[in-house]
Parts: sequence; structure tokens; C-alpha cells
Amino acid sequence: MANVLNKRNFCIIAHIDHGKTTLSDRLLEATGAVQKREMKDQLLDSMDLERERGITIKSHPVTVRYKHTDGTEYELNLIDTPGHVDFSYEVSRSLAACEGALLLVDAGQGVEAQTVANATLAVNQNLAIIPVINKVDLPGADIEGVRHQIEEILSIPADDAVLASGKTGIGIGDILTAVVQRVPPPRWADYPQARMLIFDCVYDAFKGVVCYVRVFSGSIKLNDQIMMMSDGAKTEVKEIGRFSPKMTACAAGEGLSAGDVGYITTSIKDLSEVKIGDTITMTADPAAKPLIGYKAVKPMVFTGIYPIDTSDYEKLKVSMAKLRLNDAAFTYQAENSVALGFGFRCGFLGLLHMEIVMERIRREYNLDIISTYPSVVYKVKLTDGREIEVDNPVKMPDPSTIDTISEPTIEASLHIPSGSIGDILALVMEKRGVCGRTETIDGHRVILHVTLPLNEILIDFNDRLKSITKGYGSMDYDLADYVASKLVKMDILVNGDPVDAFSCIVHEDKAVGRGRQLCAKLKELLPQSMFKVAIQAAIGAKVIARETLSALRKDVLAKCYGGDITRKRKLLEKQKEGKKRMKQIGSVSIPQEAFVSILKTNT
Amino acid sequence: MTLSRQSALGLYVHVPFCARRCEFCAFYEVPPRRADVERYLACAERELAELHLPRRAETVFWGGGTPSILAPADLERLAGATLGASGGTPEEWTVETTPATCRADRLAVLKNSGVTRVSIGVQSFDEAILAGLGRLHTTAQVSEAIGAVRAAGIGNLNLDLMFALPGQTLEEWERDLRTAIAAGPEHISTYCLTIEESAPLFARLARGRLSRRTPDEEAAFYERTWDLLEAAGYRQYEVSNFARPGYECVHNLNTWRMREWAGVGPAAASQLGLRRYANAANLARWAEGVEKGAPARTDEVILDEATLATDAVVFGLRMVEGVDLAELAARFPSHDWAEVARKASELEGQGLAEFDGRSLRLTRRGRLLADEVALEFF
Ligand SMILES: Nc1nc2c(ncn2[C@@H]2O[C@H](COP(=O)(O)OP(=O)(O)OP(=O)(O)O)[C@@H](O)[C@H]2O)c(=O)[nH]1
Ligand SMILES: C[S@@+](CC[C@H](N)C(=O)[O-])C[C@H]1O[C@@H](n2cnc3c(N)ncnc32)[C@H](O)[C@@H]1O
Ligand code: SF4
Ligand SMILES: [Mg+2]
Repeated sequence: MANVLNKRNFCIIAHIDHGKTTLSDRLLEATGAVQKREMKDQLLDSMDLERERGITIKSHPVTVRYKHTDGTEYELNLIDTPGHVDFSYEVSRSLAACEGALLLVDAGQGVEAQTVANATLAVNQNLAIIPVINKVDLPGADIEGVRHQIEEILSIPADDAVLASGKTGIGIGDILTAVVQRVPPPRWADYPQARMLIFDCVYDAFKGVVCYVRVFSGSIKLNDQIMMMSDGAKTEVKEIGRFSPKMTACAAGEGLSAGDVGYITTSIKDLSEVKIGDTITMTADPAAKPLIGYKAVKPMVFTGIYPIDTSDYEKLKVSMAKLRLNDAAFTYQAENSVALGFGFRCGFLGLLHMEIVMERIRREYNLDIISTYPSVVYKVKLTDGREIEVDNPVKMPDPSTIDTISEPTIEASLHIPSGSIGDILALVMEKRGVCGRTETIDGHRVILHVTLPLNEILIDFNDRLKSITKGYGSMDYDLADYVASKLVKMDILVNGDPVDAFSCIVHEDKAVGRGRQLCAKLKELLPQSMFKVAIQAAIGAKVIARETLSALRKDVLAKCYGGDITRKRKLLEKQKEGKKRMKQIGSVSIPQEAFVSILKTNT
Repeated sequence: MTLSRQSALGLYVHVPFCARRCEFCAFYEVPPRRADVERYLACAERELAELHLPRRAETVFWGGGTPSILAPADLERLAGATLGASGGTPEEWTVETTPATCRADRLAVLKNSGVTRVSIGVQSFDEAILAGLGRLHTTAQVSEAIGAVRAAGIGNLNLDLMFALPGQTLEEWERDLRTAIAAGPEHISTYCLTIEESAPLFARLARGRLSRRTPDEEAAFYERTWDLLEAAGYRQYEVSNFARPGYECVHNLNTWRMREWAGVGPAAASQLGLRRYANAANLARWAEGVEKGAPARTDEVILDEATLATDAVVFGLRMVEGVDLAELAARFPSHDWAEVARKASELEGQGLAEFDGRSLRLTRRGRLLADEVALEFF
């Protein structure tokens, strides 16, 4: 077991796509943690979904051994984190398990919104920050410009920056040296009792509940009697191990000690009994004070999630409990809908977060689900003086009983190239935003501070920001005040039947435009069938937009002889299977994708 | 189940040789190299000899590929073996040909052997379209071929035509139809172009050099075809097939009626007894199987009553006469016919079918949506 002074705990943080996972690959290689033949690109992105999308969704810890030039062997615990704003909660949890952070800045992109946001998180946790200018191999690398930004925007001395490329391996040695020299050894290691932080959890089909732990003081091994400090629940360590990067059980008699990162499983069966952010201590000699836990995150976007097959409700419930274990930012609560049956109202940090959770439910739990149009939480003052919160458009009270509706707003900082200010201002206006301060970073970039209604950024704000700025713009935001606003509930009717999944709250002035957009998009998404389908948007009884999906006129295979029967059968079977996975609303089948694709309307 | 008791039996022989692959074609075919043709003939003879059909085959169909590409002597060999297997002279014996190979010497052999029906793959009467499809014939050759069939004394002639071809307008198609009608065949098949992944045209689609027609466009072609041929005295009896009364292709009718057929040659499909399968779609693999006495087959399924009953409805509805549910109920008594009748009434309510409680037939609109309708019964 390494001396606590020879351990370093750090995470890799950055804006999305600045190369964290690729740089981790090089660190794993350089320290011999992974054999050459087992190496693959973005190795730590181990979920299928991560590999397909090329983004990190979960933080991934790994322990490596590094022989420093001074001859000492160090145990390095590194955590690769996601860069997308929706997963910043993952980052803050990882930071709490570390003493230092590698802050990567893409030499071609420069400092972006999540660079600033994540750097701030690290500073607030008192971590040592090592700035790394990454991707210096890029032909468009602007190292001097990035140095300047690091000083100006992040207030970190640029001389401290390491130049590196996760692609070519430049600077990997410098990074390892910087980690050893600049990241302090594990803190709070001499606290008299054992304390370890649960910084993540997963449900594993074979192992059950697996807790990711960072040991701060004391040690832990197999069969130890431990206690969860939040509620005093006692249990026993059933398995203990490290991430190498796969979960690898400790050798007999060995365990984890101060400064180590690893995992444990316990005899706890009930998923709700394990809380991320909880402190574990020893039952025999409990600590008096827990470690600083995590601030509970508040979801900002809400949607209903329903099983396509109503008999899957229980299965969906169990899968949500398991997912929640691994994703504390996701919340859910039972609800039901006339059209969709029993399901859950779920809270997410953003739209990508919602998409990812839904995709994980589909894949990891093999369930067919649909979601309703996303909503924020509205505060509704009724004429009788009561105030209620509404997170589901369907629950919006009758307009005659409403005095005022207030909606949440956000304070956003938009990091954009100076040349796109005009177009971005127009976008902000269109989204009912108000502009505040403008900060000039350098000749090329500005930060625009704006206030926007949260419901306006849910759907396509980020995509539009990206497209206007050709990928160079980014944003970060915090929740701000509730503001009274002229909002109405808009319903979508398919052949006269309202589809609650598509109901939404919109600003009065934008209802007609939005209604047209939704109808047109639905017309694109619904498969033609043997009937004509009317698609309408309505406010109350008043239809404000309509489209007609014409009936399919021809669907027949010209040639169909003896040899074609088997093939035709297979085709029909596949189609039938596809139909089963659609949601039946009245006489119309709506494909699952429609429920997510409808959100991707581009104006 | 009364499948094997005294139901019609057909014999299909696949001749997999073509001079060149047409752009739209997804059938199994190879160039007619002498060694391959020899091996094919020997193996087809053996497969036919070992077939031992349960009863006489009333219909024979030589399809391809291009059966008429075989030399007269080869045709004679294959005909001899076919007659040996069929258990006597069939009532209907069709041979597919291309215009360039549909010639007097071969037709004489065929006529002599007992062939009653010749099909010519005309596809189009437009030289530019023919060239674009990679067809190896001209319109002049089509006239010659038709003349040759008549001169050979073959009284049942079919012309295969295709529509919704790349660049083809509705007017051009109408002209093709009129030319075909003027030639006076007893039977006309009209196929809407379908582009499968294995067809050379697919590559053009994938590269964006060709775009698919919309269902609406295709529907317009279909309807024009149906109107025109009916007016000219060709009765439609299936989605793509038209004939003067009494000249319907019985062999094909029997497949849509889910009767029985035995397939010989690579890629040939069979439905015999309670089994459905296809021979390997590869000359060498098929031949090896025959030579070893261990047939190379794919997609083999044991048919149960529900499958056959469903297929009899689904494929039967392609025919204009539709299906006689009472007759099918007698053939497949254990099927849930009440459910079929319920669906039938639903289709009638939607204007897609006519149903009198016993016989179910699709309306014109229903026939254009036969695949969607099929899903209802699946
Ligand atoms: N040229 C160059 N490209 C790089 C380098 N590092 C990463 N990339 C590319 O940048 C893209 C993003 O790399 P990742 O390692 O997945 O980035 P990330 O920061 O982990 O992304 P998230 O986890 O989604 O925030 C990939 O296409 C990489 O191939 C580098 O040093 N040089
Ligand atoms: C099995 S082919 C054999 C006939 C012969 N080899 C010929 O091409 O002349 C029978 C008919 O199917 C039709 N056919 C072949 N491929 C087709 C496709 N991709 N789409 C529509 N019809 C097709 C053609 O009309 C062809 O004549
Ligand atoms: S269409 Fe006929 S001639 Fe052309 S390749 Fe296919 S089978 Fe051969
Ligand atoms: Mg990553």
C-alpha cells in the first residue's frame, strides 16, 4: 500500500470535446495501466451510448501507478468527467473526490462557457488547477491567444500552462510531472476516524448496488462493518476493489486506505438506501462529523415518461430507481395521463440529459417508452389567491381561474465570436430575452450576459447558438427569478384526439408560430397510413394551426411469386414489430422517435 | 389440414443464366459459361430425377435468369428431365425468354416438348430506356420475337412490361401499353420498378444519382395501367397481371392460393407437404448439394395451419377475385376465422374491401394498399 504522501487525486475537466477522454487514453498508456493491444480510442467512454455519440456522459475513475523521474512510485487516481453543461453535476461530484484538476483548453477553440463554469467549480472546492492547452497539434492552434484567455478570463497565470496533445502524446510527461509536483497529497488523511465519500453509484446486474468511494481517512476492507452517516444505516462490505479501469477486486486481505479511490458493494438491497454524497464510517468507531456532502441539484426540465406497453409500468419503475442511483440529477414521480396511462413525471438538468436518460432506459432496461413535451415549473396565482406550481402543461388550471402565471428565467452568459453579436442578439430577442452587460475577452470574443425565460432555451436555443456561431459559441447559465408572463396552454390534436404528450405552455404572442411549427413537424414525423390524418394546434377550443397528412395511396409489391413469399413474410413481420413499438393514439400510430424529434424543430 | 390432399401442384425450374445483368435485376443469375451450363444441366437433371413428386404436376414454369439462352440441344435435355419429373405433359408450361433469345430454333424445340406458354421480357418499347436499363435488345427484336412465337404455333403469349422506370413519363408508359396491346398477346404482366439493394440501380440511388418515385407517383402509373388494359379487353386478375379471359397463368394463381410447388435449380423456392424452403442461391453451392445428395437449402420452415391460412388470405387478396373465406376455413379449420371476418368487415368499412360474409376482395384502392392490408391479418 502506497504511502499517503505518494498518492494524487485529480480529475480532468474542460468544455465539451476539448479532449479530456483522449488525453486520459494517453495517461493510461504512459503509466502502463492498459496494455497496447487492449487500447482503443476514448477507452474510458465505456457505455455504448458514450461511444456512439462520442461524448462522455458519466465520470469515469481509474487508478494508475506512475514511476516519477525521482524514482518514487505514485498512485494516481484520475477521474475523466463529461463536458456538456447538462452533466456539470457529475463534474462537481468528481471534484469533491480530488485535490487537483487538469483544466483542458482546446488550442483551436479557446476558453468556452464550460471551461469557465468548471474552473469556477474547481476553485470553489479549493482544488489545485493545472491549466493544459490541449490539441496543440491542430493546424489552427492559437497557443498565444489561449494563454491570454487563460489569464484574462480565468485569472490563472499562463506560465503555469502545460502544452499537450492527447492525439500525438505531446506533453504527457509534463502533465504527469505537474500532477506530482502541483497537486497536494490527499487532504484530511489524519482525521482520527475513517471517513469515505460516496461520489457515485451504479446498479450492476451481478453485483447489485456498487458505490464509488474516495477514502479520506482510515481504511476499509472486506467484511468491515460500516455505517452510512446520513441515516445511520449499518451494513457490511461484501466486495471491495479498484478501477483499473475495469472494476477489479482487491487481493485477499487488502483494501483501500486514505487517499484511495475504489468501489464497494454491501449487503444493502434497497436502492433508495444508498445516497450519493453520503459519508461512510466504521460502525465500531464512527466519525463525529461527515464530509461535506453534495448540494442537492434541482432539475429544471420536466417531462412525462410513459411505457408504450402499459403493462411495463412496474418494470419502468424499477429501472428508474436503478438509474436514479447512478444519476442523482434525475428525479421521478408517478403520474398518469388519460391518453398515455400510468407513467412518471421526470426532472432533468437539460434536454440532452433527458435524451440520454431515455436512451439508457430503452437500452439498459429494454423498455419502449415515450416522453411528453418538456416543461419547466410555472408558478400560477389563482383568482382565489392560492398559488400553485405546475410542471405539466396538462395540469394547467382553466384560464378563467388564473390570475397570473410566472415563469422561471435564467441568467446566461453567452461566449461568442464578436462577429456574430448581431445575429445572437436577434436570437435572444426572438426568445424573449433581455440583454445585460457585454464583456470583451479579446479582439475576437465577447461574453454576453442575458436574461432569458427558461422555457425558451429548452428546445433549440443551444443548437441555434451553435449554428449561428459555426460551433464557436457556447453558453452557461444559472437559474434566476420568476417573472409574470402572458402564457397559454396549447394542445395538439391528431384526428381530433388531443395528444397530451404534445401539449405545451407557450407565450401568447408565439402560440400561432409555434403551433404551425409543431403541426408541420408532426406531419413529417407521422407515417402515412390508409387514412387522412388531421393535425391541429389549439388553444382551448380555438384551432390556431392545422396540417393534413394525406392518406397513403400505394403500398404494394409489384412482383410476388413463389420465391417471394418467405421474403415478403419477413418484411411484414418486421413492419408489424415496428408498429407494436409505436404509441396508438385513437386510430393513429405515433413512432417513438416522434416524441423526441418533435423537439428538434428548426425555425 | 388438407394441404397435401389433391391440391394443385406446380413445378418450377430456375435457369440462372443471363448474357448480362440488367440494371434493375435482383434475381439470381450468372454468365452462361459452358462449364457452368454443363454442370447446371447435369445437376438439374439429377434434382428432377430425384424429385419424386407426390402426384402429377399440372403446371410447369421455367423461369430465370433466361431459360431461352440455352442452346436447342440443352433445352431438349432439360425438357426431357422436366417431363420425367412432372409425371406427364402438363396442362400449362411457361418458359421465360428475352427478346434476343426468343428465336425459331429454340421455340421449335420448346413447342415440340409441350411448352404451351411463352413469356417475353419486353420491359419497354423505348430504345433509350432499354439502353439505360442495360437490356441487350432493341424494339425491332421484340417484334421479331413475337412473330417467332406465333410462327412456332404457341398460342399463349405473355409480355412483361415495367413502369415507373428512371426518366419515364406517364405518357411514355401509356404509349408502351398501347404498343403492347397492338401486338395482341393473350397475357400482359406490368411491374412497377422496385429497386432492391442487390440490384445495380441501387448504387445509383445510394449515390443520389437517382431518386425514388413517391407512392403517389407510382399510384398514378398503376391506375393508368389498370384503366387502359381493362378497356382493351385484358381482365386484371392480380396486382400486376392481365389476361384475355381463360389465359390467366394457372401456375402463378396456385402460388397465391397457397397450393404446392416444387422448385428445382439454384434459388428456386418450394412449398411441398408442410415445408417451405429455397435452394441455395448460388450455382456452385446448389450443384454441390445435388451432387452429394445433400441439398443446400435456406429459409426452411415447417408450415403450420395458422401460417398457411394467413398467407392464403394475405397473398390471395392480391388476386382480383380475392379469397373465399368459407373455402379457406374448410382447408384450414383451426384458424381464427372469426377474427379474419372481423378485420374483413373493418376493411369494408374503410372502403378498402368488399365483403359479403364469405368472399373477401379488395377494392381498387385496397389493391394499391395490399401490403398495408396484409399487416392487418399478420
Ligand atoms: N487534433 C486533435 N484532436 C483531438 C485531440 N484530443 C482529442 N481530439 C479530438 O477531439 C474530439 C473530442 O475528444 P474527446 O476526448 O472525446 O473529448 P472530451 O473532452 O472527452 O469530450 P466530452 O467528454 O464529451 O466533453 C475527438 O474527435 C478527438 O479525436 C488532440 O490532441 N488533437
Ligand atoms: C424473372 S424476370 C425474367 C425474365 C427475363 N430474364 C427478362 O428479363 O426478360 C421476370 C420479369 O420480372 C420483371 N422484373 C425483374 N426485375 C424487376 C424489378 N426490379 N422491378 C420490377 N420488375 C422486375 C421484369 O419485367 C422481368 O421480365
Ligand atoms: S432481368 Fe432478366 S435478363 Fe435481366 S438480368 Fe434479370 S433475369 Fe437476366
Ligand atoms: Mg470525454
